[in-house]
Amino acid sequence: MSNDWKNEVSKCSKCGKCHTVCPVFLETHDESAVARGRISLAEALKDKQIGYTEKLRDYVYSCKKCMRCRKVCPSDVDYEKIISALLRGVAENMGIPLLPKIIFRYILPRRILFDTLLKVSSKIQRFIPMKKRGQMRHLPLLFMGKRWIPTLAGKTALQKFRKTRKVENPRMRVGLFTGCLINYIYVDIAEAVVDVLNKMGIEVVIPQRQLCCGTPSSTMGDVKSSKRLAEENRKVFESLELDAIVSACATCTKSIKNDYMHILGPSWKNMSDKIYDISEFIDKFIGDMPGVKPIGEKVTYHDPCHLLWVRDISEEPRNILKKSSRFVDMDMADACCGGGGIFTIIHYDLTLKMLERKVDSIQRSGADTVATNCPGCVMQIADGLAGRNSNIKTTHSIQILQEALKNGETKK
Amino acid sequence: MKQQMDKNSIDTRILEELCDAVGRENVFDDIEERVCYSFDATKERSLPDLVIKPHSTEHVSNIVSIANKNSIPICPRGAGTGLSGGSVPIRGGIVLDLKNMDRIIELNARDLTVTVEPGVVTKDLQNEAAKHKLFYPPDPGSARFSTIGGNVAECSGGATGMKYGVTRDYVLALEIVLPDGSIINTGRKTLKSVAGYDLTRFFVGSEGTLGIYTKITLKLLPMPEKLGTIVSYFDDFHDALNTSDSIQIKNRILPRSLEFMDAACLASLKEGLKAAIPEGAKSLLLIDVDGNEKNVTNTIAKIEDICRENNALKCEVAKTAEEREVLWEMIRSVPSSLFKIATMKFNDDFCVPRSKVKDILEKVYGLSRAASVKVAAFGHIGEGHINLNVMYDDGSDKEHSAHTFVSEVLKEVVSIGGTITSEHGVGDAKAEYVKLELTAQEIELMQKLKKLFDPKGIMNPGKIFV
Ligand SMILES: Cc1cc2nc3c(=O)[nH]c(=O)nc-3n(C[C@H](O)[C@H](O)[C@H](O)COP(=O)(O)OP(=O)(O)OC[C@H]3O[C@@H](n4cnc5c(N)ncnc54)[C@H](O)[C@@H]3O)c2cc1C
Repeated sequence: MSNDWKNEVSKCSKCGKCHTVCPVFLETHDESAVARGRISLAEALKDKQIGYTEKLRDYVYSCKKCMRCRKVCPSDVDYEKIISALLRGVAENMGIPLLPKIIFRYILPRRILFDTLLKVSSKIQRFIPMKKRGQMRHLPLLFMGKRWIPTLAGKTALQKFRKTRKVENPRMRVGLFTGCLINYIYVDIAEAVVDVLNKMGIEVVIPQRQLCCGTPSSTMGDVKSSKRLAEENRKVFESLELDAIVSACATCTKSIKNDYMHILGPSWKNMSDKIYDISEFIDKFIGDMPGVKPIGEKVTYHDPCHLLWVRDISEEPRNILKKSSRFVDMDMADACCGGGGIFTIIHYDLTLKMLERKVDSIQRSGADTVATNCPGCVMQIADGLAGRNSNIKTTHSIQILQEALKNGETKK
Repeated sequence: MKQQMDKNSIDTRILEELCDAVGRENVFDDIEERVCYSFDATKERSLPDLVIKPHSTEHVSNIVSIANKNSIPICPRGAGTGLSGGSVPIRGGIVLDLKNMDRIIELNARDLTVTVEPGVVTKDLQNEAAKHKLFYPPDPGSARFSTIGGNVAECSGGATGMKYGVTRDYVLALEIVLPDGSIINTGRKTLKSVAGYDLTRFFVGSEGTLGIYTKITLKLLPMPEKLGTIVSYFDDFHDALNTSDSIQIKNRILPRSLEFMDAACLASLKEGLKAAIPEGAKSLLLIDVDGNEKNVTNTIAKIEDICRENNALKCEVAKTAEEREVLWEMIRSVPSSLFKIATMKFNDDFCVPRSKVKDILEKVYGLSRAASVKVAAFGHIGEGHINLNVMYDDGSDKEHSAHTFVSEVLKEVVSIGGTITSEHGVGDAKAEYVKLELTAQEIELMQKLKKLFDPKGIMNPGKIFV
């Protein structure tokens, strides 16, 4: 990895094509907010024209890492290498803010500690008033006014599926990488994955010792923590004999499938090849689904950045929805919802602008439900819709399939 | 890199005055922001002292008068996609980032005109016109990211030039902030006007050296009913050129576009795109035809015959808008994909009388072999326009030979009646070659005019003239 980024920097032709897709640039028009500008900053760092400053850190943190720019770049610049090097440089030279550091280094790698802390929060949250349709005012952002975040689950996905649900003569045995959001908040998504795959004769193992995928720490340049998490997850998944690993989180899939190749090196290739987004898995290994009866609702789909722009997956989830509902596409389905870790916190105003646009598209589509393939997007979009008192529901595409399967059973 | 300083050299008093004039939130003096506005698509770099992001004509006028009073250079900037260093602040001073002035003020479908602010992205304007079944023809390869202001300042051309001309042919009227801060209006919002000297034309292509456009009125055309696209590949560039002759001259067909690419360009394209390029292809023609449905279908069929008569290896007619887009994306990607050949490139977009294209290309390839420099050529061949790219690695001894080679080529271009730049402008990248084309007297006259408008020389100094 070391100096790779410098080659990438010199490959940039400064043509400006990244302007056309960068969701942050399209809002701000600031060159410092788009790949070409950040690449010029990396170039200036390389030439010692600038150093690590707070301003630089802000510009580096303002990247959503959606990788649209990388996808459209005519010079094939691997922007991910550059932004990762910048984040790492910021972390090494300026340190990681204390709270995230404690979380990444000491809490995320320890599942029980993490569980306990969140359990305490989930107890506290009961005393906070203003619950709204299963969402509550999230503590730190409560003071910022408008943020609606779902309640923490009483029992995590890992706890719920401590024992693998048995399937008679399974045709495959797959592992589920849950990821933090699904584990702690959207346990129903994990349940839907297990339900659906079990019905298709596939056994789903949820390894109990799996940890956070490492995206939050790598987003802040904390290479050490990301590496540690990757190594732990490798141990967990390599020790099991699995036909495949699935995830219902676009960001976790990108992390364990793509980013781990950089973090763990080529020896991860065999495992990486076996990792699938849930819709990709269904498309590849299941295809036709007998017993599915479309639900009556109109459902639209939002493309998560990390699935579409990193993995080129857009048809697979739509195919699922077409089979299980009255599917309608929305305009600008591929526009970013604005969600995404640290960005959402630092650039709350921009996040809101992107979200507003997304919610506009969803409402224009006339759908009753918006489905997507990333719990981060689910959280963000649900927040936006709740903010407008809309009745449109937000869900994961696998949950629509789960309903359609149930529908098929009852209508038999 | 021309400068290494990390402190700007603008007096604090002036800085405060500027902040008062446009709001502190629009004035940037930190090194990081200045780095982000120190380049364009030539990769040349030079730090400005300040970056200012105006939101209105009034802002621009205030900034310019303060700069003029204090003799601070101003470099207007659209999207920084220029290919001649136009928006690189080579003398420091203020970069005026016009991206925030991006309103489409009025589209008048009955008058066939549209008035915009300079920061509107070309494609956004085209899309807006299309909503009214209207057509803004100039279509530079950078249309999706360059601005109208930049297009006017460079008199950009593009793929549709063959049939529809260049930006100049669509500019009806301009609102301009002059270097003393005053605001003038040139031209009228009518499709014709000839009262007095044509200041509008004088300002088009002035590369930010005379004043700053703050409003631009453009002419629109009715949208043609149908668009047809065909690509053909040849194993010898002569066949491609003969094809183009046969289409335009022998068969008297006026295509909307007639694009050419040579072997080096084809080789540099992304693997992903390469799929459709046949084995052994050494040049390509991409041809667009527009008009009514029947005409387009017939003309495309005719062109396909002509291509085959001229030994095309493969012809492919785009059946859907997506297929067309794939082909055009291939053309648009070339300028950037050439960086796979080497890390640096010198680009010249010369134009010769169209009958001389074969001669000049033979000359270019001959000279390049002799000088052992790497070249790649593509362009709007139907107009005699060639983008010649000379590729070399950063820091290698080739930079010098690249420049010697280019001046050899340009001498030849001028001697056969051509021009050193068709649409990318002179900037500072080609300033040394201007004297090949213009006489001392002509240059002096131009400089007198410049002095009349900009006596202190604050507008984009160092560009066009050395
Ligand atoms: C991949 C690629 C393909 C390209 N294809 C083409 C092509 O097919 N045809 C073509 O002609 N060009 C092409 N270009 C070159 C470039 O995009 C054009 O010159 C374009 O018009 C520049 O617009 P910009 O907004 O980026 O302007 P900038 O690069 O920011 O500025 C260009 C010049 O305009 C001046 N300027 C900008 N705004 C104003 C204003 N409001 N008032 C006064 N002066 C102003 C600047 O000072 C500068 O001198 C291409 C470039 C790239 C990178």
